[in-house]
Amino acid sequence: MKNTLLLLIASICYAQPAVAPTTGEQVGDARGENHGEYNIMNSMELGYRFATTGGDFDMYRSTVNYTDGIRLLSSSLSVQSRDGHGRFFDSLMLNTQGLGNDPYESAVLRIEKNRLYRYDMTWRLNDYYNPALTIANGEHFKNTSRMWQDHDLTLFPTGKVKFFLGYSHNDENGPSLTTIQMFDVRGDTFPLFADIRRQQNEFRLGGEVDVLGFRLNVLRGWEDFREDTPTQILRSTEPGDAGLNTLNAYSSTQPYHGTSPYWRVGLFREGRKFWAVNGRFTYVAGQRDFIDNEASAGSLGSGAPITRQILVSGDARRPALATNLNVSLFPASFLTITNQTTFNNIRMLGNALFSEIDNGVAITPFVPFTLLGIRTVANGTDAEARFGKKVSVHAGYHYSDRRIEVIDGQQNAGLPAPSGAAITPITQFNHLHAGVLGFRLRPFNGFTLLADGEIGRADQPYTPISDRNYTVFRARAEYKKKTYRLAAYAKTDYNTNSISLTSYASRSRNIGADASWTPSGWFAIDASYSKLHLNTLGGLDFFVFNQLNQFNSLYISNIHTASLGARFGIKNRADLYFGYSHSQDVGDGRATADGLPLGAGAATVFDPFLAVQTFPLKFVSPEARLSIRIHKQLRWNVGYQYYGYNEQFSNIQDFHAHTGYSSVLWSF
Amino acid sequence: MLVSAILPAFAADYVGSDVCKTCHPDVWANFYRNPHFKSVASGKESPENTGCESCHGPGKAHVEARGGKATIVAFSQLAPDKVLDACLRCHSKTLSRANIRRSSHTEQDVVCSTCHSIHKSPAPKFLLAKAEQRDLCYGCHTSVRAQFSMPFKHRVNEGTIKCTDCHNPHGAFDPTSKMAERPHMMEQSEGNEQPCLKCHIDKRGPFVYEHGSVRVEGCDTCHSAHGSMNARLLRRPVTFTLCLECHNGVGQQGSFGVKFNNGVQRTPSDHNMADPRYRNCTSCHVRIHGSNTSEFFFR
Repeated sequence: MKNTLLLLIASICYAQPAVAPTTGEQVGDARGENHGEYNIMNSMELGYRFATTGGDFDMYRSTVNYTDGIRLLSSSLSVQSRDGHGRFFDSLMLNTQGLGNDPYESAVLRIEKNRLYRYDMTWRLNDYYNPALTIANGEHFKNTSRMWQDHDLTLFPTGKVKFFLGYSHNDENGPSLTTIQMFDVRGDTFPLFADIRRQQNEFRLGGEVDVLGFRLNVLRGWEDFREDTPTQILRSTEPGDAGLNTLNAYSSTQPYHGTSPYWRVGLFREGRKFWAVNGRFTYVAGQRDFIDNEASAGSLGSGAPITRQILVSGDARRPALATNLNVSLFPASFLTITNQTTFNNIRMLGNALFSEIDNGVAITPFVPFTLLGIRTVANGTDAEARFGKKVSVHAGYHYSDRRIEVIDGQQNAGLPAPSGAAITPITQFNHLHAGVLGFRLRPFNGFTLLADGEIGRADQPYTPISDRNYTVFRARAEYKKKTYRLAAYAKTDYNTNSISLTSYASRSRNIGADASWTPSGWFAIDASYSKLHLNTLGGLDFFVFNQLNQFNSLYISNIHTASLGARFGIKNRADLYFGYSHSQDVGDGRATADGLPLGAGAATVFDPFLAVQTFPLKFVSPEARLSIRIHKQLRWNVGYQYYGYNEQFSNIQDFHAHTGYSSVLWSF
Repeated sequence: MLVSAILPAFAADYVGSDVCKTCHPDVWANFYRNPHFKSVASGKESPENTGCESCHGPGKAHVEARGGKATIVAFSQLAPDKVLDACLRCHSKTLSRANIRRSSHTEQDVVCSTCHSIHKSPAPKFLLAKAEQRDLCYGCHTSVRAQFSMPFKHRVNEGTIKCTDCHNPHGAFDPTSKMAERPHMMEQSEGNEQPCLKCHIDKRGPFVYEHGSVRVEGCDTCHSAHGSMNARLLRRPVTFTLCLECHNGVGQQGSFGVKFNNGVQRTPSDHNMADPRYRNCTSCHVRIHGSNTSEFFFR
């Protein structure tokens, strides 16, 4: 029992970073107290966080965001019926994290009564801060708060007939900055303040029933979205853009409301000796109604005054149908053959009436007619053969056929509806053939070697960076004994996409290794290293002073990450944890952004591209935590974590931060 | 039935959980906290579906031999596919696990007992083998752990987001983006859309003018969802190189009004890339995911 408790504490200490609460950590006997028919376990960790920062505080808020203050760092409540026959419930579990003022707060609740009901609730709150950073000119700042909650009630969860009721809510609120470009395509962009107000509600109702051995699962859902984000002009001119437009007055309302009712039907059967089958059908009828009422006044670059009103109203629709049918066959005990067929058809289309009045003169309103349709049919067959415990082989072939249709046109209002060629979609077909082959070996006890490869060939890729001719190779080796574990992996993913005018190639190579050693109940250590290499090369066409230039986009990223964690238990009285995390992109090896092979001479139009071909940076975070048992129901915890962020080419966004907490964990 | 296949048995071979707890009191002491205790509490299940023997098979031989792994279904001794068979006896009755036999995890011999610890779980809700789901996943996906160590990332390490918000470790239906082939094991929304849209509700649309790459190829055309050096989780440090890699005139040589045809339209000639403001693409194209009023995503 004592060893079990030590192992449990060890696993919890290992699992959590220093700044995180100590949810679930057990104190003393910690097997709860019996109250009537229930056993109750409860713990609460109350503490104070601190954070001192240097450098770019905005960057700190964007990446870490912990601040000073008292928090309920974590809490855990477990109430269990001892005989499985509680009066109102048999099990209740509530876990919280960061309540008070942490930027990342959550609460998870499950209540269930065996055979009768099960209720799950998840509530999450995330304070999001994005200063948009210097490299984006400080535009599009966001300081929003996103809250999610999901409620799911299952009636008769173990019965042959089940019912589902669900509700989800998701909202995002808070101040932000955005921009608007006025008054013509060569006009300036102006900063706007936007008070983001977005909200989504989803209601679900469904059931599941056994039909002739198959389980039929039907779900009907209604998802409702609304956005009413008011905007307000911040500046009439943009610094550094003298001679362009000015925007003296601006108002815009863009309410955007709609619903997406959907059906989901699943049919599946598992557990037969020779076969299993499952299928799913979903249909979503998404629709959004919108109005954009925008009024503005200012002047053009010539100094001529201009007033403009734009009024757009209409709706957009997206009916989406998706079906899947998967059949698994087990012709022999060592062989599994699975075939899956997929059919997706998504159509996005919309109507809008666009009206514009410039300086009191109305342009002819027009109605766009647009369509983006995607229809995909895919089929794949995979087979896996197992030869005893030591060897297995799997192979597969997949084929996809995708049709993309686009209509992109507009017609002046009042004219007859377009027909003929105007509404004939441009159509493109993509086909993919892919094959997979792999094996698993267990030559001796504790050692596993896995490897597989995939080759795909596609024609007519949608974008220049899409998969076309790709080759993926994966391998993994693991050696596991009772007190230690060693593992290593390698993965390569190469894609070349040569098309008519230019070509694109990406090469991703990942290698890594990790090890853990737990020689005793009071000591554990783990370490990992990973290298993520990516280089992509693509052709660029762009204009400089109306002259066409052609260049290559070469991007190189070489990310090395390492982590180390060590835990020491001290006489069953205290736990000490040290951790270190190091992430570094060494880029393409250059020392400075200006130290470019091609930019060594006079400035060229290519310099901005060369400067961002790589982005070396370093992000390190050592941490330490001490947890001392001061009473069988009480622990005192203290933690410290340092964050250091450095970019190699510029120090504008660099920051460092000392964060930590001191807390008391009370279990009762 | 599958357990029976592993170890053929008769009703008389079942001894009941009360016998098991004689030698395994540490397991039994807190077993009432375990979701599997429901089979005991029910009192209506047949012997092969009740308590210890519902998973470990009939215990008579084990008792008579006074223990030993050879006389009982010991999961540590089972081949991975047999572990899967045993658990799916009961746990196949959920749509979210309907694809488990064809999942990448199963192909790689990652089966139930790899991630779940039935008797020593520090996470009682799903009986995970580690207290935090992310540490369970990081155990094999070291490269993903590295991605979440980047300065900008989804808040998995902070506990707000879980791997299973976007992925289904039990296997998923084919995705509706790309060629319905990759990526594997993505957990689609209930309405069968990209998982990103479950949270990023404003990006969902539908819009009159859709940015084709978002809908056809998926969000990861432009974004690295796990982590990035860019504050918007873009795949490149700055925006304009990302945009120009596609908008380079391939195919249609910059003609307007045609969204594709073996290519994507080029940036127009008045976009002077020597001028920094043209290198901040999303300062003008603010509605880059989709717009109801502007073909060029201006508003």
